[in-house]
Amino acid sequence: MKTPQEQTLHTRRQFLRTSVLGGALASTVPLFLEKTFLTLDSMAAATTGQYPTGKDGTILVVLQLAGGNDGINTLVPFADDAYYKARPKIGLPAAQILKINDYAGLHPRLTGIHDLYASGNLGLVQGVGYPNPNRSHFRSTEIWQTASDADRNESEGWLGRYFDSCCQGAEPTVGVAIAGQTPQAFASSHAKGVSFTDPGQFRYMSESAGDPKAAEMFMREMNTPGNGNESIPDNSGGSIGMIGGSPSNGGDTLEFLQRTALGAQMSSDKILAITRKTKSSVDYPRTQLGNSLNLVSRLIAGGLPTRVYYVSQGGFDTHANQIPTHDRLMTDLNGSLSSFVADLKKQGNFDRVLMISFSEFGRRVTENASGGTDHGAAAPLFVIGGGVKPGLYGAYPSLTNLQDGDLRFDTDFRSVYATALEKWLGAPSEQVLGRKFPLLPFI
Amino acid sequence: MLSPFPAKYWNRYTAAHLINRAGFGGTPAEIDALQSLGQKRGISSAVESFLNADDNGDLFEVPPMLTPSDRYSFQQRLKVAASETEKQAIRKEENDAERTAMIDLRLWWLNRMRYTTAPLLEKATLFWHGHFATSNQKVNYPYLMWQQNETLRHYALGRFPELLKAMSRDPAMIRWLDLESSRKNHPNENFAREVMELFSLGEGHYSEKDVQEGARAFTGYRVNQQTGYFQMSPNEFDPGQKSFLGQIGALTGDEVIDIIVAQPQCARFIGRKLWVFFVSDNPSEQIVDEVATLLFRNGYDIGATLGVIFQSLAFYSPNVIHEQIKSPVQWMIQTTKMLEIPLPDPQVLENSLFMLGQALFAPPNVKGWDGGRAWISASSLLYRYNLAAYLLSGRAHVLGGGVKKTPIPLDKIAPPSERGGEQQLVDPLGFRVFNSPISPKNRSEFFDDLLRHPVPYTDIVVRDLLQIMMGTPEFQLC
Repeated sequence: MKTPQEQTLHTRRQFLRTSVLGGALASTVPLFLEKTFLTLDSMAAATTGQYPTGKDGTILVVLQLAGGNDGINTLVPFADDAYYKARPKIGLPAAQILKINDYAGLHPRLTGIHDLYASGNLGLVQGVGYPNPNRSHFRSTEIWQTASDADRNESEGWLGRYFDSCCQGAEPTVGVAIAGQTPQAFASSHAKGVSFTDPGQFRYMSESAGDPKAAEMFMREMNTPGNGNESIPDNSGGSIGMIGGSPSNGGDTLEFLQRTALGAQMSSDKILAITRKTKSSVDYPRTQLGNSLNLVSRLIAGGLPTRVYYVSQGGFDTHANQIPTHDRLMTDLNGSLSSFVADLKKQGNFDRVLMISFSEFGRRVTENASGGTDHGAAAPLFVIGGGVKPGLYGAYPSLTNLQDGDLRFDTDFRSVYATALEKWLGAPSEQVLGRKFPLLPFI
Repeated sequence: MLSPFPAKYWNRYTAAHLINRAGFGGTPAEIDALQSLGQKRGISSAVESFLNADDNGDLFEVPPMLTPSDRYSFQQRLKVAASETEKQAIRKEENDAERTAMIDLRLWWLNRMRYTTAPLLEKATLFWHGHFATSNQKVNYPYLMWQQNETLRHYALGRFPELLKAMSRDPAMIRWLDLESSRKNHPNENFAREVMELFSLGEGHYSEKDVQEGARAFTGYRVNQQTGYFQMSPNEFDPGQKSFLGQIGALTGDEVIDIIVAQPQCARFIGRKLWVFFVSDNPSEQIVDEVATLLFRNGYDIGATLGVIFQSLAFYSPNVIHEQIKSPVQWMIQTTKMLEIPLPDPQVLENSLFMLGQALFAPPNVKGWDGGRAWISASSLLYRYNLAAYLLSGRAHVLGGGVKKTPIPLDKIAPPSERGGEQQLVDPLGFRVFNSPISPKNRSEFFDDLLRHPVPYTDIVVRDLLQIMMGTPEFQLC
């Protein structure tokens, strides 16, 4: 009679040998994996992991708008003279605005998002920012990713700390980022969370393993002109595409590599199986964001136990010639989000999902001489989901009573995080964020 | 820390370390040659061979690209085009040409890195490319990206203030940071901010006011549409008094740069970046101080500073050797060198470096590439393993169908004399692949794998072992 540990070891060896990864030839599986598998397995066996997972529990989707989205032209104060005074060239005509109330409304391209507001699934949190706003892309993104105060330097991400404190024993796929680099929000000393751009590439293939077809596919993909190049972030809107974080935590580099490989191994089969099985019933825009949300919806449909998904849309750094670029970005955002919501509703999963958007800062009230705007501070963000209490939250910051030429913030972004953590993920926000932040009523 | 590394500790591994960091790696023969040089004539000679190497750049033919006058012709053709259809055809012709040019330009530089006789020059150029991260995604002008590359190379091992001034006048940079639209009455702050934040001082060492005043000094910088060269537009230059980092005057852009480099913080900032790129992450404050002092005293002479670093005790520390995660470019060049094969097919090269996160001439944002652990995600790590398998298969798909065989020279890499037993093969092959001692655990696993096969080991067995070795976490380190 095998001991539980021997049994587990046997199962794992089977998994390696016969999976897509292992094939029949053990010699082609990276050897270190066999050994470390056992270690992780016994770690997992030691914990019971009794908490909801993304399989049937609630799911958080974080959407990063990278580059600094112009909040003022997203939620437009069309009734304010100061708006048109400050933006003679790039102010959007009042007639085109999709009205939310007497003061503000949405960018003309955000028709689907406007519908979501009307149907009660959208909240708009106004004036989100933080004290002592920083106007550097990297520093401000880092602040949002680590939820730190502006004068402190943290390296762990807020989601990384959530994974650490609440999801011990969870699979590496507890967090999934559709990205080329692990976002700093996921960074922690335990390397939880996986990131990939395409599940098709997300496995170990080799010619001599029992999967020559896979190897052939890989080779074909690698040799196709423009393969993957469609998803090069379009930076024509400015100098910022998707921003990756740099999880430079202490600890052994080699160990970090080993843990990453192990996470990849464990997740890749599962993810690939799911994406092969599921198909979207809805059309998505053929953009990086559309593709990312398409993939996320299929993973949700397929029952991946992921609790937090992370996707990103780049190109928001509109220093020059903002109008056509921002127009294009809003169109993409609108189409992708609308498709995602429709898809989730069809699956019957919409009520389990909460999406929050964020951008590292808004932009200056006054336009510059290049038909664009420079880095600013506070901006609105979206919260979308079946469990959202719709409406406008916070107050629209004054366009005239400014701080260093920028909007003053009304809501600290950590309150948005705290609300998502406590009310949606059932996690102790004070522990994750380091201190208490007032919760918002959008859930 | 920067005191000299004692000569008695110089060996194969330290020579390999120098080749990997000051360049892009090498074969065992090349490593041994460097070791021998260091042994006979001192470590300083080994280091100087990198600093004083002759550049064989002329051998690498620059690909055809649309010159500024070519682009100007396209503009003129568009102006006189009769119909929208004709306009679209002209635009398509231009875009197709430029797309090909970009792929070719990447290949040109990668070939230089692969076959250069001056690897430190190319490595330093790569460093500066990441530092002044300019992307063709926005610039959309291969010719200008090439010019920037040559400018970076020209000053790469020279003096940083001259490089910074040259970059402020670089046409690709001007387009990248929207300097062209910066006018007397409405200066564009982007360039001034990025010059200080990303190129010279780092965050927190200047005020918003300095950004605004600095922006005024960089007004009037233009690119001539026809020639593609930098030119000043004197009417658009703001000649008024500016107050910048405590200095007051009718400052020009160059003068602003002079003030910047006179700040000790600039030396710390550049020193730290050099250390992170060439040596290790998270340098101590003491090391940063030492490098900064060196830079400040020698007028920011990059070559001389690297020379001292490459001979220092700190550089050869066990915490440094074989502890750096290879960048995708480093991975590719070092791997092809070590396997003694050419670069893979252009399309494969293009796709794989993009997938691994390092498309040359298209860094993801103004900060360049984060490097280090940021190169590694579940996806990119698996990709590296698969890429290794692909390179080892010796197959090459040619565009348009057909398979070309470019096999690994296994006779050279594992000659018959090394095929008679586990130790005979694993030790030399292991040195070639890892450039460092193999851990006992890995060594016994490689042995275990070979034990299943009869001697002498066939090509297939050798190739399989290579694949196992290259599919390890250790292989990602240099």
